[in-house]
Amino acid sequence: MRRVAVIGVGVTKFGKHERSSAELFAEAARDALADADIGPGAVQALYYGNVVGGETEKQLHMGPQAASVLGIPTIPTTRFETACASSHAAFRHAVMEIAAGVSDVVLVGGAERVLTVPTAESTEYFAYASDATWEQPLGLTFPGVFALVARAHMTKYGTTEEQMAAVAVKNHRHGVLNPKAQFQKEITVEQVLKSAYVADPLKLYDCCPFTDGGAAVVLASEEIARRHPRAVWVLASAAASDSMLMQEKKDLARVPTTERAAAAAYRQAGVGPADVDVVELHDCFTIAEIVATEGLGLFEPGTGGFAAEKGWTSLGGKLPVNPSGGLKSKGHPIGATGAAQIAEITTQLRGEAGPRQVEGARIGLAHTLGGNLATVLVSVFGRD
Amino acid sequence: MTNTPVITLKNFFEQAREGTLTAVRCDKCGALAMPPKEFCPTCQQRAWTPVPLAGDGTIASYTIIRVAPARFAAEPPYAIAVVALREGVSLIGRVVDIPLDALAVGRPVRFRPIVRDNETTVGFGPA
Repeated sequence: MRRVAVIGVGVTKFGKHERSSAELFAEAARDALADADIGPGAVQALYYGNVVGGETEKQLHMGPQAASVLGIPTIPTTRFETACASSHAAFRHAVMEIAAGVSDVVLVGGAERVLTVPTAESTEYFAYASDATWEQPLGLTFPGVFALVARAHMTKYGTTEEQMAAVAVKNHRHGVLNPKAQFQKEITVEQVLKSAYVADPLKLYDCCPFTDGGAAVVLASEEIARRHPRAVWVLASAAASDSMLMQEKKDLARVPTTERAAAAAYRQAGVGPADVDVVELHDCFTIAEIVATEGLGLFEPGTGGFAAEKGWTSLGGKLPVNPSGGLKSKGHPIGATGAAQIAEITTQLRGEAGPRQVEGARIGLAHTLGGNLATVLVSVFGRD
Repeated sequence: MTNTPVITLKNFFEQAREGTLTAVRCDKCGALAMPPKEFCPTCQQRAWTPVPLAGDGTIASYTIIRVAPARFAAEPPYAIAVVALREGVSLIGRVVDIPLDALAVGRPVRFRPIVRDNETTVGFGPA
């Protein structure tokens, strides 16, 4: 298999936009191509992520649409949907296309537009990622799914609402340093604890926002990447799945999907959790960050909340997590999120992250979770 | 082996409406599953026998939904729990007739069907 590298990245401002998801993607892709210093004519395929476009934009068949809006309508393209992990799943398949020798330059990305509809409507569309027979008819929401995890984690390990709040405070502090973030404002533990319950024990400030935005990365074969001094190598890209049903999780306080994807990624990359310098992971809810740090092997099961409260995951801490501000502060345009996380890790490993730079970062990891803990992608990146 | 499913989702909810929960047990390895599947996830055989469940269990985790999807907009707050049933499988359902502040992990509950607009969903009430 051939080595694969990221040679360009682009991310739109996250927040509310008055443009279609295809337009948002095209802006991110234009920036990614400029960053890679190649023209659109060099792109041989597009792997695209989007989740609820059928509902919020009444738009299917988004691959050709996105390629067309970008101005390269004739390349092969496919849309991926793995709930919130969509563009990271697209990324993994693009890596395999280049590794297999099918293409030399592939564009990956995604976009989402949800702020066109009211919260109750977007809450319903996001719940489509839970089971339509067993879960949706109960009125289970996506915050409700992670509330079940949070309650189980609190019961099993003694994790507290204050520890979960520490994750939100930390990610907002990081987000202040990211000009692309939806929320560039600090919050306090007290503000999190006093915010209204959305799905007990999760409160409003435990939850990431609804977000419009796009993200793109340009992937290239080793031969081409050698001509790009800022190239970042893809050391591993692994996926794992599990039953969607919350009733079939053997232990609601753990995420075996993350554990399995991480084990495969570490094996591929030939590194372990202790080698990782910087992490972008899926903090759709504060508890999601805690269980992700545990599932990735960064902290022992049950200690993720303690680690956050101690500041170990802050910029300047022993292992900075979500220097971009994470989904919580940067925002979560679900189809774009995986690509945006990969863009941040690339920027960090290039040493170009400015005030949020993790000093001397050589190995970075991106973790994206989809739906009811049912899809997880983990990719590992490195510099020469 | 027959080509017809041991139990379909339609059967399951018809029986649930009458008050009976039905799981399937693997004749080869003894694994219990709900909902039913084609192959046993444990031993990959296809040798299921339907088994009725007693309907009692304890709350494994729960949440109180306060911001609901559009079609449930008038209903919050309402509770949803994953319940560990006596036989070793779990089931997710609405919790009814238990005060929200009396919910707790480990609390015993009992299955009851909730029928609305001719649609049956899983509910749990006091044991």
